[in-house]
Amino acid sequence: MDEEPERAKRWEGGYERTWEVLKEDESGSLKSSVEAILYQSKRKRMITSHNQVRLGMVQGHRNTGNIGLLPILLKKLMRHLYVVIDCSRSMEDQDLKPNRLTSTLKLIEKFVDEYFDQNPISQIGFITTKNKRAEKLTDLAGNPTKHTTALKKAVDTVCGGEPSLYNSLNLAIQSLKHMPGHTSREILIVLSSLTTCDPANIYELIKTLKTLKIRVSVIGLSAEVRVCTVLTRETGGLYNVILDESHYRELLMMHVKPPPATTSSECSLIRMGFPQHTVSAVMDRDAKPSFSMSHLDSSSSCDPGLSLGGYFCPQCHAKYTELPVECKVCGLTLVSAPHLARSFHHLFPLQTFTETPVEELQGERFCQACQGELKEKSMFTCPSCKNVYCMECDLYIHDALHFCPCCTHGDAAR
Amino acid sequence: MASDTDVSLLVIVVDVNPIWWGQQAHREPEFTLAKCLDAVMVLGNSHLAMTRSNKLAVIASHCQDSYFLYPTKKSADNGGDESSSGDGKYELLSATNNQMAEEIREILSKTEVRGNSTDTLLAASLAKALCYIHRVSKELEVGQEMKSRILVIKAAEDCALQYMNFMNGIFAAQKQNILIDACVLASDSGLLQQACDITGGLYLKLPQKVALAQYLLWVFLADSEQRSQLVLPPTAHVDYRAACFCHRNLIEIGYVCSVCLSIFCTFSPICTTCETAFKIQLRQMVKPKKKKLKQQM
Repeated sequence: MDEEPERAKRWEGGYERTWEVLKEDESGSLKSSVEAILYQSKRKRMITSHNQVRLGMVQGHRNTGNIGLLPILLKKLMRHLYVVIDCSRSMEDQDLKPNRLTSTLKLIEKFVDEYFDQNPISQIGFITTKNKRAEKLTDLAGNPTKHTTALKKAVDTVCGGEPSLYNSLNLAIQSLKHMPGHTSREILIVLSSLTTCDPANIYELIKTLKTLKIRVSVIGLSAEVRVCTVLTRETGGLYNVILDESHYRELLMMHVKPPPATTSSECSLIRMGFPQHTVSAVMDRDAKPSFSMSHLDSSSSCDPGLSLGGYFCPQCHAKYTELPVECKVCGLTLVSAPHLARSFHHLFPLQTFTETPVEELQGERFCQACQGELKEKSMFTCPSCKNVYCMECDLYIHDALHFCPCCTHGDAAR
Repeated sequence: MASDTDVSLLVIVVDVNPIWWGQQAHREPEFTLAKCLDAVMVLGNSHLAMTRSNKLAVIASHCQDSYFLYPTKKSADNGGDESSSGDGKYELLSATNNQMAEEIREILSKTEVRGNSTDTLLAASLAKALCYIHRVSKELEVGQEMKSRILVIKAAEDCALQYMNFMNGIFAAQKQNILIDACVLASDSGLLQQACDITGGLYLKLPQKVALAQYLLWVFLADSEQRSQLVLPPTAHVDYRAACFCHRNLIEIGYVCSVCLSIFCTFSPICTTCETAFKIQLRQMVKPKKKKLKQQM
């Protein structure tokens, strides 16, 4: 790699005794050392995510109940992400079981679920590339079912030829350049081949990507390729090469969180509609069955088509069965308040708890959240309310809950 | 059908806001906090009596903090050496009831209401319930499955300041398939209606407070698989419209700031919460054609 030319070659260093990391406890089980390793990696991930630059101040966000200025992470919460999947001959390689393509598609299905869970108002689209061409698998859409059905069908595609980075990036740019400035434009490429066949100079395209502020990240399945390094460095994305399947999943999940935004990015007021869900019983005489706009295009036979209740767009009264959706008639984005609430924890992340050895605690040693005993060697203290938690609760609070159970709304100074 | 070793954990969160209950004692002397806790004990005992592998936890939600009424740390330390009840009741049930009664007496006599925080800390109790469920699920034996649900018995009004924490708690519960049921004693709670809708639980506003035990046993005792067999109160219509930040009115079409996600009912050039200036889309100005002016000497 360019940055470390003086690093000694791996065979020049001493032997790495990897077996000494695992230690057995009294009963001969490796469970505790495996847990310790997992815990260390989780802590590392948590700490790196908290070192992101905090920019911007929010004046007493009414929903959090904090009066005064709080720091807010500037992030682009409405994301438009294109995922480019390489379907060239190298994807038939069987180093990932059963072959690279099947394994990739399975992991990407899980990625899509997590993505819509963490970013409910975002959209995703898929592009495949093979035989020196690129074609769109699905358009940018906010509905996960369409993508998962397309991905399931794609397992049967025949892989062949070489991928084309230029063509796939070009195809993605055609749609992304029309997206408004306050949204994030991203491309994630899963590249397994070591070659690419381009019709024109890709460095010119990289310049175009930079001016359009499109962030490109690459996950390599074989080895590091220089053009990808340049591509990701210039556009501000991430480039990683996988080691094995679990590392692959970890790298994919890294892209679920919204990327940080720069201060120079545009901020605007987005006009959105909040439709009411009307449910009319069959007994109601005024209830009129109607078609949902999203089912007009689909030809699936499992949908009944006509339904009594649904969400009506406040502007044009077109009916939809699920949110979030962009109204096809009037173009208004329709969401419900919980969808916006899901993204709050990205903006106001919980601070890391300080780790201290358990011996320093006087009095009873129990965790304030789960009432269990503090069995591990270290305990975690919340900096604002000074309550003590065990390691499991600390991980759970930071991964899933995103708020400290004992910080009351009055005392918390985040 | 659930096998014998499947664990069903019920966590009951009781709102013991002393101000509301104090006023309640004046309004309706026949329904006091003691009666409410009696009904909760009946539900807890019934749940424990259904199957041997059922577990129970009770949390009292106060203005200052939330406390576990059962199981308490003292019981874990002592190993349960309380005297067995003399009337032949199943020991686990009598021990549970005694512990709960002792704890609530201690809590209410020792804590004082400080400052001007008079709202129940429901979000905090929900978080503690979730952490407890998480811990119990880690302590299960291999092969055991656990289904858990949280029942919230709410007395006082909603506190809007806890909205964000509460929503985070609801999403965490939904991720783990934990149902949140709600039994509301006095005024309707929008937060709990959303919680029940999102997680798939039941929401009930009590028509008669005195019959609390009856409603609890009828509606909330059965777990999620058995609920389809019972005739239960219909689901309430949940209002998912957002409230604008300037007037707190419910709006159908609003403007959302892309930085801090605050919702406004009218367009303004600056967001009041994060103070970012917005880019206003101006219409393309049609430049007037330049007429050649006759140069007048």
